[in-house]
Amino acid sequence: MKRLALIALLALAGSVQAKDWTVDPSSTLGFSGSYQGEKFSGKFPRFNAKVTLDKADLANARLDVEIDVTSVTTGNADYDGELKGSAFFDFAKFPKARFVSTTVKESGGALVADGTLTIRDKSRPVQITLDFKPAGATATLDVQATLKRLDFDVGTGDWADTSLIGGDIAVTSHLALK
Amino acid sequence: MALKSEANRWGVGARTLHWIMAVLIIGLGLVGLYMSDLPNSPQKIKIYALHKSVGLTVLALLLLRLAWRLADRRPDELPMPRWQALAARAVHGLLYVLMFALPLSGWLYNSASGYPLQWFSLFNLPSLTGGADPALKGLAHNIHVYGFYVLVLALLAHAGAALKHHFIDRDDTLVRMLPLLRRRPHVPMSREPALTAVGTPAPLDRVPAPPADPSPEIAKP
Repeated sequence: MKRLALIALLALAGSVQAKDWTVDPSSTLGFSGSYQGEKFSGKFPRFNAKVTLDKADLANARLDVEIDVTSVTTGNADYDGELKGSAFFDFAKFPKARFVSTTVKESGGALVADGTLTIRDKSRPVQITLDFKPAGATATLDVQATLKRLDFDVGTGDWADTSLIGGDIAVTSHLALK
Repeated sequence: MALKSEANRWGVGARTLHWIMAVLIIGLGLVGLYMSDLPNSPQKIKIYALHKSVGLTVLALLLLRLAWRLADRRPDELPMPRWQALAARAVHGLLYVLMFALPLSGWLYNSASGYPLQWFSLFNLPSLTGGADPALKGLAHNIHVYGFYVLVLALLAHAGAALKHHFIDRDDTLVRMLPLLRRRPHVPMSREPALTAVGTPAPLDRVPAPPADPSPEIAKP
């Protein structure tokens, strides 16, 4: 009986370790790139992240982020008007983007997650860097990645010219977890 | 040919700045009229980038020209009715104001629209507004567009007056600003060497020396 209780306790501890975090609405997801030699930045105000993460149990760690692409804004109405069109995000056909992790591991003191990112109808393996800071019942998770926009057909046709809009897009996210 | 102006002739410095800017400004106007109605595309952005780069070049040349103007003398005014001399000066002043106002309002319009500003893809210039500014955007655009129409009128008056001086008054006003051509003499001489001065290079011994140079072809419409 005692043994059973111990097993139950361990199982409970295990489930606590593979903690499912609730993502606070104050969390942000943004991106930046270069246009005509100058930095621009934007954000996706609407996204939904499911985070299961504990440094002691990385085997069960999982990130699943669904992004409402139609919420994108750069603060420049001209850019935003272009982003919704078929050459960029093509809202009508591809309103959602999604990242799902496959593995999370520690690498050189930092956490990295490998996974699959789908934008438009392109799914590519990507690696993202995680900065996870638990603080009692809450935690913060800062995510960084650099994507090649052309891997995902963001900017097709003449817009694929990376001398105008740079090919590298930096993505950053700050998640407040509780 | 003298770099600096003389009593009866604009120097190479003033003439070069005048004509380079004339060509650039006319080109800017034509491209400006053409580009604004294009559908958005990288091609359109590149045409705009060219317009902006050339406009900034005109602004830089204007600063150079004003500095040169301070260092250079002006040729003596040719005999003409006082109202014409005053009108000429007024139009010159207006042209200088517009050569400042158009590039600056374009720069302001670009800044207030939140766009980057590059000079021929070589370097970026700072924003005048530190980010998008919808209220200033409209104002800057109006200055740019209406300034352009005023510029067209001022240029028509300026070039029209130069042609009127040349073909009707038959004075030196235009010729002394033209490149290559020689000053119209007070006593017309043989026109043969003048043709060589306009067209193919003449043998050195046939190039006449001012001020006793012959009348160029263009001086005899």
